[in-house]
Amino acid sequence: MNEKIKEKVNWPITILLIAGLITVIFPLYMTIVIAFKQPSEMTNSISGILSLPKSWSLANFAEAMRVTDFWRSLFNSVMITGITVVLSLVLHSMIGYAVGRNKAKNKWYNLVYLYIVSGMFVPFAILMMPLVKQTAQMGIANIVGVIICYVVFYMPMNLMLYSGYLTNIPIALEEAARVDGASTWKTYWSIIFPIMKPMHATVAVITALSVWNDVMTPLVIMSGSGLTTLPLAQLAFQTQFGTNYNLAFASYLLALLPILIFYIVCQKQILNGVVNGAVK
Amino acid sequence: MRKREKMFSLFLAGMMPVSVLLTGCGGSQQNSGKIEIELVHYKPEAVDVFEQLEEKFNSTHDNIHLTIESPNDAMTILKTRFVREDYPDIIGIGGDINYSYFIDSDILADVSDYPGLTEINSGYVDILEGLEFVPTEGTYGVPYVANAAGILYNREMFKEHGWEIPETWDELMQLCDTIQSEGILPFYFGFKDTWTCLAPWNALAVDLSPSNVCQQVNAGNTTFTNEYRETAEKMLQLLQYGEDGPFAYGYNDACTAFANGESAMYTIGSYAVPQIKSVNPDMDIDSFVMPGSENPDGNTLNSGVDLQFCVTAECENKEAAYEVLDFLLADENVQAYLDDQNAVPCKTGSFHLAPNLDGMKDYIASGNMTDYQDHYYPSEMAVDAQIQTFLIEQDVDAFLAKFDTDWARYNRDIIQMVENYNKQNGNQ
Amino acid sequence: MKNANDRQRTFLLMTIPVLILFFAFNTLPLIKGVIYSFTNFRGYGSYNYVGLRNYIDLFQDARVGKSYLFTIKMAIAATIVTNVISLVLALGLNSKIKFKSTLRGLYFVPNILGALVVGYIFNYFFTYIVPALFHTSSILASTTWAWVAIVIVCAWQAIAMNTIIYISGLQTVPEDVYEAGSIDGATGWAQFKHLTFPLIIPFFSINMVLSVKNFLMVFDQIMALTKGGPAQSTESISFLIYNNGMSGGQFGFQSANAVLFFVIIVAFSVAQLTFTGKKEEQL
Repeated sequence: MNEKIKEKVNWPITILLIAGLITVIFPLYMTIVIAFKQPSEMTNSISGILSLPKSWSLANFAEAMRVTDFWRSLFNSVMITGITVVLSLVLHSMIGYAVGRNKAKNKWYNLVYLYIVSGMFVPFAILMMPLVKQTAQMGIANIVGVIICYVVFYMPMNLMLYSGYLTNIPIALEEAARVDGASTWKTYWSIIFPIMKPMHATVAVITALSVWNDVMTPLVIMSGSGLTTLPLAQLAFQTQFGTNYNLAFASYLLALLPILIFYIVCQKQILNGVVNGAVK
Repeated sequence: MRKREKMFSLFLAGMMPVSVLLTGCGGSQQNSGKIEIELVHYKPEAVDVFEQLEEKFNSTHDNIHLTIESPNDAMTILKTRFVREDYPDIIGIGGDINYSYFIDSDILADVSDYPGLTEINSGYVDILEGLEFVPTEGTYGVPYVANAAGILYNREMFKEHGWEIPETWDELMQLCDTIQSEGILPFYFGFKDTWTCLAPWNALAVDLSPSNVCQQVNAGNTTFTNEYRETAEKMLQLLQYGEDGPFAYGYNDACTAFANGESAMYTIGSYAVPQIKSVNPDMDIDSFVMPGSENPDGNTLNSGVDLQFCVTAECENKEAAYEVLDFLLADENVQAYLDDQNAVPCKTGSFHLAPNLDGMKDYIASGNMTDYQDHYYPSEMAVDAQIQTFLIEQDVDAFLAKFDTDWARYNRDIIQMVENYNKQNGNQ
Repeated sequence: MKNANDRQRTFLLMTIPVLILFFAFNTLPLIKGVIYSFTNFRGYGSYNYVGLRNYIDLFQDARVGKSYLFTIKMAIAATIVTNVISLVLALGLNSKIKFKSTLRGLYFVPNILGALVVGYIFNYFFTYIVPALFHTSSILASTTWAWVAIVIVCAWQAIAMNTIIYISGLQTVPEDVYEAGSIDGATGWAQFKHLTFPLIIPFFSINMVLSVKNFLMVFDQIMALTKGGPAQSTESISFLIYNNGMSGGQFGFQSANAVLFFVIIVAFSVAQLTFTGKKEEQL
């Protein structure tokens, strides 16, 4: 049956991987089932939670959308995530390139590398209050401040990813372009930046995910600006003395969809990683 | 490749105005000629009733425009706004240690000149006074509603079996034995969530130790080892009547179990009723005061200020703020809040109370109530986790000794402040 | 010569503006945080300088010491578990299998689920399902075993991201390396050990650093699963810094804790990076 495919499909591994999916499917099943149930259907027995809901009504989803002001929160979340990802791809790949190409032989760049990467280990709690004050003084206690904070927060990790990736891209590629008289700046944008496509996809996914799910930064930086993001709006289901898990789960599923779509799109990029072809 | 660059810069250029636009719409809510009053409170669950009140206020007042905000995680938001020196005019917070910190940080204004205070149950005003680290002149909050903790019970189940409400500790223990002998679980604890350990702890401690025990310790007059021993021992006794392995189940599990009739009683506060009813909307829940003492008259209701309104020191228009408070404290508006939130009013007068508070009514009417002990505990000391540790290890002496040493460590600055205050006042 | 100058100028041009941004929004607030660590600041309002008191307290505080031990133990276990599983998973997902993109997509889902959902599901799993299957009591209620539950959940969530990084690493390995290798008779484990692994070492070191960092800073999973319990046995360093510093009134003290934590973790990672860096050069 598989004769048509040039290389043989490795069925044992496929089957093992499918079997392993139970660790993912089971929690996902619980999430979906709970999102459709009513609070009165929640019991403390195994059958109570694993059973299917009495009716597949979309009422929980409608209510969750009302409470979270879904479309506006979604717009803000998309906005913040989108701008952060674009800025990260541009700025972080650039510094990743400069540092990655030089850190082996130039002490200064190695220092820059260690300096920025060590920023990854600063606990957010210590930065929080000073950042709140600083952004307020600079007049960016709003969406702009949040985006700038994100670009800085994810810089260490992305720098690491980009400069690590660059070690696998032969310098000969650039030298060829340089012989043709192209400036380094031009060479970067025309040759290196496109070649790093698979890493862009990885960086975009990692950055987008962290930003999308983050509560703390918008909570403290934008508080009082009247704007809300999806994760912020979801706090509404957890009050001091009670949590409506059914609404919360429905709302989580809604918030999950956009990022899942984004991931599937980006995954194609990783999959079709053309780097090897370009290098050869 | 030029094209790619251009696309990026075009994209960025396109984004900037949008983000400016987005940020622009937040602050511009000026209603010309009107005094703006902003109220931020920490009860997002009451957002509906507050929205109604906001609308009603604005439609009946021409000179003042009121904005009520019900943010999620309001405590973090308030603290970050204070860092930014961006103060709302009125804040609605609980009577807990944050309130003490806010007074100590000079964030709140003295509202002792507010006429409406005379209509507030003086028991609650005293509770707020007790929360100040060192006695200050003036009053810094107007109590709005309270909650009460003790024991919730399944009224139907009690009727069915003919069980009586206990009034002393012995009666409670006997009742537990009876319930157990009939094959029913007396209590379902949610001790996996450490804060639920505080509910029975508080309710017992108010019966068994003086209400100002923390101030007494700060002043060096007594120790917790002396004052809390009986409370600790009775906690262990209660534990015997709970489910197996109570540290595996959380607040939510316990609410669900109690709602489904798996236990007859639940040591928690009135605030848990909405969560329980979400599982079983038809359940008939009543409550009684924790009978910690051997003497029925020695018991007191564990009740504290759940929501109070404080005017910030930075508020420019105190008169307008008072007008807002007058409106919120109008009988019909208080009643609207009570109906929505199952709360206990702090205002005197006849209000209709939720049926789950039947067993506590007399105590509220007579003012026989004492604040939650944990409102005086610094949250970083994690007394709730310490109680959980104690219930697991069951070592009363070690627990009390650690309580005393940790207390001195976490309250060092406050104890210093009290000492200085006492010295100064002694010298003068 | 002109070319070389242009190259260096461009590199500087690419580095300096970003560096300034980083300084302004990371280093500057960090310096302020360090200053707060010498005060009894609550996060807002007035405060006093208390000298080295916070740092002295830090070394005498049994709770802080316990949190360091717990965090390190947990981070080491989770790092090993995560990296072994995700490397195996990445090799599997990168081999010639059916439903490749669907499988990759599904294995990624754990990473997207928020803390509330993960917390609820795993609480339920450990409290009701595991005890029913194995007739044991819940490990979340056990002071000796609760940390294992945290490791499981952390690994479950982190494997997705590490796998992606490994996959993108595996794709940088040119096909002809395998072809050349198979002529030499290298297959299976030998192929992996001598051909594949050396080529993905940069990605391995990235994953190691990321895992260690993420697990040392573990917070969400603790909040979702145990909130530091039972009996304060799963209080991580970040949990203390956040809970006592932000929600509690210990901002100054916990800033000192954060500074100490930062210094330790940086020293640890620099050592790790230089170690793997040397390995890279050797190969």
